[in-house]
Order: sequence, then C-alpha cells, then structure tokens
Amino acid sequence: MEKGQKFEIPLVISEEIYNGFLQIFKDYNPLHTDSTHAKSKGFSDKVMHGNILNGLISYFVGECLPIKNVILLSQSIKYNKPIYLNDSILFKAEIVDIFSSVNLIEIKYSFYKKEHLVAKGTIQVGII
Amino acid sequence: MTFEEMIKSVNSIFINILDNDNIVLARETTAKDIEEWDSLSHIQLVVAIEKHFKIRFSSGEIQGFKNVGEMCDNLLTKV
Repeated sequence: MEKGQKFEIPLVISEEIYNGFLQIFKDYNPLHTDSTHAKSKGFSDKVMHGNILNGLISYFVGECLPIKNVILLSQSIKYNKPIYLNDSILFKAEIVDIFSSVNLIEIKYSFYKKEHLVAKGTIQVGII
Repeated sequence: MTFEEMIKSVNSIFINILDNDNIVLARETTAKDIEEWDSLSHIQLVVAIEKHFKIRFSSGEIQGFKNVGEMCDNLLTKV
C-alpha cells in the first residue's frame, strides 16, 4: 500500500441491511422506524442508522485492503446528511499517511450520495 | 530547541493522547511509569509525535528507546 492510493466501494442501503441492523442491534428509535415521526422532524422519511456506514468501514478494512493482516485502531466519523432506505451510497477512501515506525496507515474516507457528502472521517489501521 | 523545551512539548502530546492531565515526563520515564501508556496507546503517541514534529522515526529507533529522554534526544537531532 502507498500514500495516495484510492479506493471506492458502492453500497445500496437495502431492506436487508436495514432490517439486519435493526434485528441485531435493536435500535428501534422512531427516527429510524416511523416515517411520520421522522417527517415531523423535518426528514423526508425514516432515517437509516448512521452506524450502518460503520459496518461498511469494517468491510473495507477487513476485506478491501490488499492485505489481510490488519487491525482497526481508531476511527472518527462525522455525519453530514441523512441516508434513507434504498439510497445508493459511494464510499471513497485514500491513504493519506503511513507511519512505518509503528506499522500504521492513516486513511481519510467519505461517503457520498450522488454528489452530496453524507459522512466523512479518518481511519487508522495497524499492520499486524 | 533545548532538551527542556523538547520534553515539555512531548509532555503535552502525552497529556493529550493519554487523556491524563497529571503526566509529568522526566528523562527516565518509561511506559511502566504511566498506566495509560500501553502497546496500543504507544502507537498513537508515536504517530502524534511524528505528526507534531513532522519527522519520522524508524521502527528500529522506536524499539531502541529505553526511556522518554532517549526519544527526546533523538527528536532533537531531527527537528
């Protein structure tokens, strides 16, 4: 891996992902499950759980990097826009720094819905 | 930069990364002296120090430091 290396992963927030997240983590907050409630709060429909995106980050670190001997050391995320059921999301990431003294790679990432920034943050991945 | 200035700078990085305002580093300080300084936070400390001073250690240097003093001495040769 090298500085500047870029990655892209498309994702659709499918019914399967949404229901799976609900059943596993049981966050049935009305914002995520009640369209009327969500609309009364100014959203277009029920809002998908932001942490679904963290699931994709886990997939990216665990499966999409060119090496498997990795461990997620830290991660930040800032949510900019809501995501809704069946939204098509594009995950973009770039290796921005490599600290070979401690085998750590720093990656900046963003999630986009069309050209709108949905969320962004930084991941630190250790090579083990 | 003097050794005292260097260790003062490094001290503030330790306080920030280890989230412990009571840290006071001395030349002989090692990980045994600071509870929060474990193998994972060690990585974060090194990364924060490399970023702060815009330098890079080699892995050999990192493994060779016996205490904070030796790391600060090394830093003084790089900045």
